[in-house]
Amino acid sequence: MLEIGGISKRFGKLQALDGVTFAVKPGEVFGFVGSNGAGKTTTMRIVLGVLSADAGEVQWQDAPIDSEVRRRIGYMPEERGLYPKMKVGEQLRYLARLHGMSTAEAGTSVQRWTERLGVGARIGDEVLKLSLGNQQRVQLCAALVHDPEVLVLDEPFSGLDPTAVEVMSGVLRDKADAGVPVIFSSHQLELVERICDRIGIIAGGRMVAVGSVDELRSREASAVLDVEGPPAGWAADLSGVEVLASGDTHTRLRLAPDTDDQAVLVAAMAAGPVHDFRRWRPPLTELYRDVVQDAAAPVDLSGVPA
Amino acid sequence: MSEALSSNQAILLVARREFVTQVRSRSFVIGLVVTLALLGVGGGIGYFVAAQNSTSSLGLTADTASFRTALEATASTLDTELLITEVDDPSGQAQVDDDELDALLTGGPGAYELLGRDAVDSTVQSVVSTAVQQQALATALAGAGVDPAQLAAQSQVAVTTIEPSDPDSGQQLALALVATILLFFSLNYASLVATGVVEEKQSRVVELLLATITPRQLLAGKVLGLSVVGLLNLVVLGGISVVVASATGVLTLPAAAFGTFAMAILWYLLGFFLFAALYAAVGSTVSRQEELQSVITPIVFILIIPLVLTLNLLPSDPRNELAAVLSFIPFFSQTVMPARYALGVAPLWEVAVAALIAVIAIVVVVRLAARIYQNSILRTGARVTLREALRTRS
Repeated sequence: MLEIGGISKRFGKLQALDGVTFAVKPGEVFGFVGSNGAGKTTTMRIVLGVLSADAGEVQWQDAPIDSEVRRRIGYMPEERGLYPKMKVGEQLRYLARLHGMSTAEAGTSVQRWTERLGVGARIGDEVLKLSLGNQQRVQLCAALVHDPEVLVLDEPFSGLDPTAVEVMSGVLRDKADAGVPVIFSSHQLELVERICDRIGIIAGGRMVAVGSVDELRSREASAVLDVEGPPAGWAADLSGVEVLASGDTHTRLRLAPDTDDQAVLVAAMAAGPVHDFRRWRPPLTELYRDVVQDAAAPVDLSGVPA
Repeated sequence: MSEALSSNQAILLVARREFVTQVRSRSFVIGLVVTLALLGVGGGIGYFVAAQNSTSSLGLTADTASFRTALEATASTLDTELLITEVDDPSGQAQVDDDELDALLTGGPGAYELLGRDAVDSTVQSVVSTAVQQQALATALAGAGVDPAQLAAQSQVAVTTIEPSDPDSGQQLALALVATILLFFSLNYASLVATGVVEEKQSRVVELLLATITPRQLLAGKVLGLSVVGLLNLVVLGGISVVVASATGVLTLPAAAFGTFAMAILWYLLGFFLFAALYAAVGSTVSRQEELQSVITPIVFILIIPLVLTLNLLPSDPRNELAAVLSFIPFFSQTVMPARYALGVAPLWEVAVAALIAVIAIVVVVRLAARIYQNSILRTGARVTLREALRTRS
C-alpha cells in the first residue's frame, strides 16, 4: 500500500500542502482531483522525492520511500520532459537503464511499450519530430518502461485524442489489475469517475474528500429523488420534502434528513401510477463542486474505509 | 525486474550518454576540423613569413659598387642573407618597380639614397646604413691616423651566458604556444556543461531524471562525460600536431613534446573540473538557453585572461614574474603553468605545488557548485540569485 501520511509543504508564505493524507492500495486506480494550485503536483513531486516535505512521510509497503524504492516508481511529471534531440528508442532505453534494467531488458521493454502505445514505428525518430500527442505517448512509455511497482502520473490524459485516451485508460487498468497502485491527476472529471476505483479531492492544500464515487455521494445528507408518473403538484404539501423541479409527469424532490422515502412513494402512488422512482445520482462534477465549495469547512471522512 | 543501481553505475550511464551524444554531434567533428585547420593555417603562415624574411635583394649602381664587401660583411654579422647585384641606375629603378629588387642604393658620399618600391625592408635599411656609417667612420679614422682594425679590436664586446644558451628554445616556444592554444580550445568544452544543464532544465527532462537519480549523480555524470569529450579533442589534435611536426622535421624534440603533452593533459583535467563546476552552477540558475550567454560570459573571460597573458608575456620573457605568480593561482594555473613548463622555466616541483593548489580549489568550488546546482535545478522561471541558491534547501 502506498501511504501518504500528513504531508505539509510551505513555499515562502504559501502553505502549499497541509497534512495531506491518503492511501492507494495495490490494484487500485486512484484519481486525484482539485483545482489549479490546489497541491496535486506538489504532492506527486514529494512522493517521487523530487521535492522534500516539511513534515509527514510517504510509505510504500510499510517502509519510508528511499531512493531504491523511487527507482521502481513510474512517473509522468506535469511538465512533460524528454531530450528533444534524442531518438525515441535511445531515450527510453536510457531511462530504463537509469531505473536499473539491464541493456537486454531495456530493449525488450522499449519494444513492448512503444508498440502497445502506438509509437513503435517512431522509435528511430528524434522526439521533437513527433506530434504533441505522440510525444505524450512516448512520455507515458517513459513512465512504464522500467516495469514500475507504483505509477504516479500527473495529468496523463491532457492533450490526448479520444483513441489515445482509450489506450491510456486501458493501460492504467491493466497495470492496476497486475497489482500496481496507480495514482493520477486530472481535470476531466467524467473520465475520472469512469475509470477510478477511488478519488481524492484536494483544495487549498488539504484533502477534503477521499473515497469511491458512491462513498462521496453518500456524504450528501439529503437525498434527491426523480419520480415519473403522477401529475404535477402531488408532492407540494408533503412534510420534509422540497420540490426542486416539476414537469407534466416528472417531479424532482429533495428529502430532508430522516424523511422516509417509502412514505413519499406511497403518496406518489396515491396521486397516480408511478413508472419510475429513483434516487438521483449526482455526477462527480456536482460532487466536486459541492466539496470544493465546502472546502473552508472540510468534512471528516475518517469513517470511510481507505 | 529492476535491480539495484549503484551510484557509480548511475554516474557512468549519464556520462556515457553525454559522451556519445556529443561525439556523434556534427559540431564536435566540425570543431575538431576547424581547430586543425586553424593550427595548419597558423603554422603555414609562420613558415611562409619566415621564408620571406630570409633573403633580401639589393641593387648597387656603379657609384655604390664599392660598398659590396662592407655590405656583405655587415649582412653576415646581422645574420641576414643579402643578395647583391650590380645594375645601372635606370634598369635598377625599373627592377625595383617590378619588385625584382627589394631596394637600390644610389648616389655618392653625403647623398646616398636607398630606393624602394613603396617601402624599404627594415633589415636592408639597417644593413645599408651600418655599412655606410662604418665606411665613413673608417675614412675619417684613416684621415686622423687611427687604424680602424685596432679600434675595432679594442671596442669588441664578447657575449657569454652563465648557462649555456639553449639551441632548442625556438622549438620549446612553439611547443608551449601550441599546447596553450590546444588547452584553451579543449577547456572550452567545459561550457557544454552549462548548455547541457540548461537543456535539461528547459526541456524539463530533469524532473524525470531526478525522480530516479540524485542531482549529484546527474551532475557528476555530466561533467565526467563531457570531460572525456574535451580530452578526446585534446589528444586527437595534440597527437596530429606532434606527428605532423615530427614528420616534416619541424619538431626534433620527441621527449620535450611528450612531456608537454602529458602536462597539457594533467592541466586539462585540473582546469576542466574547475571550470565545469562553475559552468554547472551558473547554468542551473537560468531556465532558458537565451539567458545563458549573459551568465557564462564572466567565466569565458576568466579563461581568456590567462591565455592572453601567456601569449603576450611568455614568448619574449619566459621568466616573467607575473606569469610565475599566476601559474600557482587557480583559474590561471591551468593555462600558465603548462606553458612555463614547456618553456623549460618551471621545474616539476613547482608544477606539483600548483597542481595541489588546483586540486584544493576544485574540492571547494565543486562543493559550492553542487550546492547551487541542487538548489536551483528544479526552480524554473525567474533567474535564481546566487545568494538564494546557496542558502535555500528544497
